[in-house]
Amino acid sequence: MLLSTWPKWLLPVLILAFSAGLAMLVRRRLRDASPKLQTWRGWAVWGMQSACVALILLLLWQPAMIVSALSSQQNIVAVVVDDSRSMAIADSDGETREAAAVATLQDGILSGLQKRFQVRLYRIGNGVTQLDGLNKLRPVETATHIGDGLKQLAAETADLPIGAIVLLSDGGENTAGMGGSGIGVDAVQSLRNRRLPVHTVGFGKVNRAHDVELEDVSVASSAIVNARLTATVSLKQDGFAGQKSTLTVRDGNKRLAAREVTLAPNGVLQTEQLFFSAGTAGAKTLTFEIEPLAGEENPGNNAMTLPMLVTDAKRRILYVEGEPRWEFKFIRRAEEDDPTVQFVSMLRTSENKIYRQGISDPSDLADGFPVRPENLFDYAGIIIGSVDADYFTPLQQELLREYVDRRGGGVLFLGGRSSLSDGGWGESSMNDLLPTFLPSGRNNFHRNSATVELTAAGVDSPITRLLDDPAKNAERWKKLTYLADYEDAGSPKPGATVLAQTNAGHRKLPLLITQNYGHGRTAIMATGGTWRWQMSEALGDPSHDLFWQQLLRWLVADSPGRVTASIPQRVLMDEGHVQFSVEVRDRQFQPTSDAHVTANIAGPEGTNALIDLTPSRDTQGLYQAEWAAEKPGAYLAEVTAESTGTQPQALGSDVFTFQRENGIAENFHVEQNRTLLEQLSSQTGGRYWEPSDLKNLPRDIAYSEAGISVRTTNELWNMPVVFVLLLGLPIAEWLLRRKWGVV
Amino acid sequence: MKLWQIALVSAVIAGCCMGLRAYQRVADFGFGNDDSPTNVKAEFYWSRLAYNVNMQAFGGYGHYGYWGRFAWSRDYPKADRQFLIAMHRLTRVDGRPTEQVVTLDNDEIFNYPWIYAVQVHLWSFTDEEAKRLREYLLKGGFLMVDDFHGTEDWENFMNGMRQVLPDRRVEDLASGDEIFHTLYDVDDKMQIPGEQWIRTGRTYEKDGYQPKWRAIRDDKGRIIVAICHNMHLGDAWEWADDPNYPEPFASMAFRVGLDYIIYGMTH
Repeated sequence: MLLSTWPKWLLPVLILAFSAGLAMLVRRRLRDASPKLQTWRGWAVWGMQSACVALILLLLWQPAMIVSALSSQQNIVAVVVDDSRSMAIADSDGETREAAAVATLQDGILSGLQKRFQVRLYRIGNGVTQLDGLNKLRPVETATHIGDGLKQLAAETADLPIGAIVLLSDGGENTAGMGGSGIGVDAVQSLRNRRLPVHTVGFGKVNRAHDVELEDVSVASSAIVNARLTATVSLKQDGFAGQKSTLTVRDGNKRLAAREVTLAPNGVLQTEQLFFSAGTAGAKTLTFEIEPLAGEENPGNNAMTLPMLVTDAKRRILYVEGEPRWEFKFIRRAEEDDPTVQFVSMLRTSENKIYRQGISDPSDLADGFPVRPENLFDYAGIIIGSVDADYFTPLQQELLREYVDRRGGGVLFLGGRSSLSDGGWGESSMNDLLPTFLPSGRNNFHRNSATVELTAAGVDSPITRLLDDPAKNAERWKKLTYLADYEDAGSPKPGATVLAQTNAGHRKLPLLITQNYGHGRTAIMATGGTWRWQMSEALGDPSHDLFWQQLLRWLVADSPGRVTASIPQRVLMDEGHVQFSVEVRDRQFQPTSDAHVTANIAGPEGTNALIDLTPSRDTQGLYQAEWAAEKPGAYLAEVTAESTGTQPQALGSDVFTFQRENGIAENFHVEQNRTLLEQLSSQTGGRYWEPSDLKNLPRDIAYSEAGISVRTTNELWNMPVVFVLLLGLPIAEWLLRRKWGVV
Repeated sequence: MKLWQIALVSAVIAGCCMGLRAYQRVADFGFGNDDSPTNVKAEFYWSRLAYNVNMQAFGGYGHYGYWGRFAWSRDYPKADRQFLIAMHRLTRVDGRPTEQVVTLDNDEIFNYPWIYAVQVHLWSFTDEEAKRLREYLLKGGFLMVDDFHGTEDWENFMNGMRQVLPDRRVEDLASGDEIFHTLYDVDDKMQIPGEQWIRTGRTYEKDGYQPKWRAIRDDKGRIIVAICHNMHLGDAWEWADDPNYPEPFASMAFRVGLDYIIYGMTH
């Protein structure tokens, strides 16, 4: 600000006027000046003279700065020391991080602060607690919740004149999940509301020397028995580049799968896939581990556990076939070996006869393809074989579209002489469902042989995985015996994925195409001739059955039931709070709020709870409840919904698992999270400090708007930089003139 | 030119013309015959199993004539084609109008998951052929056997069958079995005689007085071999257009045959 009473607008006007006057003067005199000055040098001289004049004018207007400074001894500085287990890591010149933090405080910093302020000591871990002295610190807390702790500190000291917070930590923050980073917005906001600056002091090495760490594991939360699963494991290492280690997945003590991996360069995030079978039904705790290497600093971050629910619930698939053909028979046989599927089929054997198989009741499908949503939506997946589009009435066509879009079911279209374009599907209202733009005409089905190969997407897809090794799998597909026939399915629509293609003559045609549509998914398998994989491969070769089981499991795996439960995280790190969300739909799959929903939870050490869920006010059909898992271990929850009224009827149920872990996250990301500490300090008006650079902390910390502060106006004319500039600018001009020889 | 020279040239020219004519009639040029019924590509091929004959079935006296050597071709091809006409008219099966002969001496049989065999008391397999037929059935192939009669024929049939499926049990089919209800409900079955009924009025041959509807199943209970013993469905199809052959026999033979085909294509 400017203290002078002179008009402020006059200052820039005068600066401009003087600069312009000098410019005119320079320009007039340049003609007679030395040739050396007639170049840019002349204007450099003008610049320096103008700056000097501007500075003098600025000083005439009396510039000043208002600062808030904490009143001496009237304010409290909260010194918060991270007390979590990661602070026990001895990577600070041979001593632990916490010992280094204590030594730093005792090395004059604490006394320096105490000279100016009252000082309160706190430790932070799972929460924040006040300390009597530094000797009470023990790095044993199982988690670090910096954000929540500082928020708690701000709340608990609301009536105290806290002027600033000094946080000594390695920056490990567990709230955001396994080794995650980031301070919650609400925590930062609570500090900002009180204008509390957080000065952070970082301890621990920013980079690890010798460590292998699992960063993340991605695997389905539930699966059906014996499903072939893929886990995507991310890991990072330092100091072991190029070495080999073994990645394993175990269910308890039983090893499900293992594979050797070559470690990537230091600090590079490496992603590996692990294939394994889900095994028998039940709640499982899977442990993913990268084998510790000799000399590793922290073997505690080599393993992660995840809960998984393996169910043997049968899913119903309806296969509609327009003519007897071999593909029908052999798909049926493949599915007869899958205990998780109830395979229902309706086959048009003659013009007016339908042969039904797999039905539960003689009345099932007695009138043909369902016309009511409650009948059709009971199926988790539908296969449409060699059937003309006209076979379905407009009502059934719309029902089929809703089946995918709203109900979230899966529909698979097969190739055949009455399929896809040859069955008039391109001109029907169901064209929208298909994952390809069908070719024109009706002569696109050919009873000619065609070999198959995977696309790049198919190599990585669990649908087409006949062998776990991707390269061997791709080779296996190339060597599969040829298809009996194929159909040109056209070109894939945007968003669709081609997993396999046929080599038909000189053409490559998409064979297996998948896409998501609405809440569900659709696919095309553009052939009716995969049965040769069963008849012409060696006896016992699993290729045909395995492929069809995997394809149909994909088709139905994500088809929701009428009651679907979910939780935000299935692993609760060091805190047990969990929110259940349950969606309930009626038989027509419309959301219903007229239900009584309960969750029966079983957990470790005999934990058992029965809770009622309450309907959401915002979303129809959504029911929620909050619960606290107090004990570490695996939990199993069964959610059931029944209609209200005098005669309640069961609407459905769902089961899910989750797990509480205590003290595990603290083993991950043990290097100093400097980014988090810097962000925290910059977002709250504080500063990040190196431990070796703390001598100015007691003085600089005084400038704060929190606590009891005084606002002082400091004039700037006597700042050293002003005198340096006032002297320096003319001297620099003179020296330059000397150098150019134009004095 | 002397007469003999003229005659020689004429004979050579005539010979060339006849040879060319014969070549044109039989040679496969690779084109021009796509419309032939035997070249039509279809989903279903009526496949008749051609097998080697077991000479011991003739008492070791070497009845190695046409009927012995070509036992597999009894009623062939008229029965096959008559049946295919009925199948085309009565079902939605996309079948080729002509039959296909398959053998067990190569893997071509695996392209035809439904096969029909007659006079199976005469069949004989090498170990390799038996293994191929066993694999064919266990992979999902279906075999229908017909036209063998009486105790001795049964034993001879079983000699071959035990070579193919040594551990499988033969069972009698109940009327309620699924195979009799895939397309038509065939509950009240009768003995279907061959064309000898026209001459003799007997429905049986040899000592095969009672029709035996039998089968062999796989591990999952699916019929893989359907056995029509003491009857002759093939003749019923072949002579269905003979006014002297009773219509009920022919009708039932068609219904059973179609049921067996639909079963073979659905189980």
